Amino acid sequence: MRALTGAAIAIAIAVLIAALLLALFIAGRTIPTTGSTVTGVARLVGMSAIQAALSTLLSLAAGIALAWSLDRLRFFGRGFIVGLLSTALVLPALVIVSGLVAVWGRNGWVNALIEPLGLNAPSIFGLGGILAAHTLLNGAFSGRIFLDRLEAIPPDKLKLGRSLGLSAWRRFTVIDIPAIAGSIPGAGATIFLLCFTSFPIVLVLGGGPANQTLEVAIYQAVRLDFDLGAAVRLAIVQLVVCAAIIIPASSLSPAAAFFGRRSRYRWPDSRAVTATQTGILSILLLGFLTPLIAVLARGMGPALAAVLAQPNFWRALWTSLTIGTLSALLTLMLALGLGMARALEPRQSLLRTALGVPVFTYLAVPAVVLSLGFFLLARFIGVPTSAAAPVVLVIANALLALPFAFATLNPPLEAIARRNKKLIRALGLSSTAQWRRIEWPLLGRPIGYALAVAFVFSLGDLGVISLFGTSEFSTLPWLMYRALGAYRSADAEAIGAILLVLSLSAFIAIPKLFEVLTHARD
Amino acid sequence: MLAIEAVSFRHTPDGPLYRFDIDVAPGEIVGLTGASGSGKSTLLDLIAGFLTPLSGDIALGGASLLGRPPETRPVSILFQTDNVFEHLSASANVALGLSNNARADDPAVRKALAQMGLETFSPRRAADLSGGQKQRVALARTLLRNKPVLLLDEPFTGLDEETAAPIRKAIADLVTANNWHAILVSHQKEDVAALASRRYEIRDGRTHPV
Repeated sequence: MRALTGAAIAIAIAVLIAALLLALFIAGRTIPTTGSTVTGVARLVGMSAIQAALSTLLSLAAGIALAWSLDRLRFFGRGFIVGLLSTALVLPALVIVSGLVAVWGRNGWVNALIEPLGLNAPSIFGLGGILAAHTLLNGAFSGRIFLDRLEAIPPDKLKLGRSLGLSAWRRFTVIDIPAIAGSIPGAGATIFLLCFTSFPIVLVLGGGPANQTLEVAIYQAVRLDFDLGAAVRLAIVQLVVCAAIIIPASSLSPAAAFFGRRSRYRWPDSRAVTATQTGILSILLLGFLTPLIAVLARGMGPALAAVLAQPNFWRALWTSLTIGTLSALLTLMLALGLGMARALEPRQSLLRTALGVPVFTYLAVPAVVLSLGFFLLARFIGVPTSAAAPVVLVIANALLALPFAFATLNPPLEAIARRNKKLIRALGLSSTAQWRRIEWPLLGRPIGYALAVAFVFSLGDLGVISLFGTSEFSTLPWLMYRALGAYRSADAEAIGAILLVLSLSAFIAIPKLFEVLTHARD
Repeated sequence: MLAIEAVSFRHTPDGPLYRFDIDVAPGEIVGLTGASGSGKSTLLDLIAGFLTPLSGDIALGGASLLGRPPETRPVSILFQTDNVFEHLSASANVALGLSNNARADDPAVRKALAQMGLETFSPRRAADLSGGQKQRVALARTLLRNKPVLLLDEPFTGLDEETAAPIRKAIADLVTANNWHAILVSHQKEDVAALASRRYEIRDGRTHPV
């Protein structure tokens, strides 16, 4: 039953993706380009690759420094900071961009501080701004992964190192780096793909065609130049490049690791090293937290009341919450269906590999390309875009959040199957009884976390809505982007603050709620 | 003489109170047995400096070790696993016993490896060695460090008798030859019987001579 359900889900996703790709390829052959202003493809690929490579290097370096410092230091609020880092990957990128502009922009906090001294902050628009935003989000993401690895170092290894009198540098090279080395290629590949296909950050901070990525160029071709032919050709190039990256990357170990065993032994460094760690952590946290604080500080001002008075805002909020809830539930069902079926299969089984493939949809088919595929499919089958939009948003956001939900649920599902498979069969438990009595009580926290990730991911999406959004059908990020485009920055800041509060609240409350519901214990 | 006198400890404020009294003569191996969770590893952690006692004293040759951090205590430890850094070569692992920056081809390193019968394994990565070979690499490093206290925390668990026997002999020879003070924690009675001249059992949080 479980294997059948998993196979049915995998086939349904494969058929859907195949239909979207087919729509893209048919469109590529039949729709001529109208000669848009889109930059040359080779230049776009080159620019995207250079930007993504630099972003990946900076993010990994920041992540290692962050994890190293957080692993050693103990302070009030550390748990909150570590939790906040976990949200980095799903926080609405548009909100982060808005925060960065509030801090580093022409009228931002930094300039307000240094202008009296006759100095000016470097422009946040252009390659520098894109790298800063990517490093901020992905540095926090990789830092969280690396911290998990450091905290899972066996206590005896630490005791041995301390007993041998390893210096801080030797400890870093002999114990820390080997512990995180295994997750660097996987995390690096994921970050590279995320930056290569980055949309909202490049869209707002790109500062013109010089820094465009393929995603932004596709959006521009559809929404600004109305050149569907050019958009389809770019989407096909994007798909080919992503596939070329993802196929070798899929052999690397997965990046997500939220369930590492915590080492209970602490080995503090010397005072000088602790001071260095404190300095590093302060700088990195300042970089990560100030944009968030700026979003809240600016957004909670007088513009908030004005935004709350707009019927458009309430419509967008309702749409965002409904689509977020539905796509989170759909993500959960897909991830559980695939994960449960996969856990039953032996390690080398072909079916097991096949059940894992749909999970990579997001990384292989980025948001704007996925959205364009749905857009074309709706046109081909004669469904008005306005009617298709809500369904497309739910399905597309569910597919986009699937890798993260799957990475959260798959390890505990596998562990439960490994530990209890024989006992469950010996007791003759039905599939329902197995779920109700064994899996549900143990999976409470991961299920809550997967739902939170999917909900927040959908809440902050700008990629899918960018091709379907109109003045009548809008989500909060789309409303915020339109406000930014219309130079109503106060409105955009207020919507950004609301999005941030909603995202953080959901990220904290949903896992807690499910923990209570299932009485989950460690 | 290694003397653990009236050493008390609690892991948590409301946890069980341990009280340990043990002495070990130079060149002697003392066995320590007890049920799982009885406090055997806790006692070793106290001697090594990973934990700090509430009261009592741990002294070697009359000089208290309390207040000294683990890295400056005259102690070597051999755990059940995790005694080597898997990505380093056997010789690089042993060289860490000399200093942070000692070279893997240092003559002293080669000599220690040879004494453990590991000359040919010197360049091999520790990850590629068997369980018994890893323990011998750790012993070579212990030999090189030549610290007067040797703590053995279940070092033979998981090894078959054929592998464990020569390691047991090597330990006994090293302790006797160097006049080390050794404490062997093991739940395998044959290990304790083969190596230890005396035995203590931990029951109800206290050490009892057997």
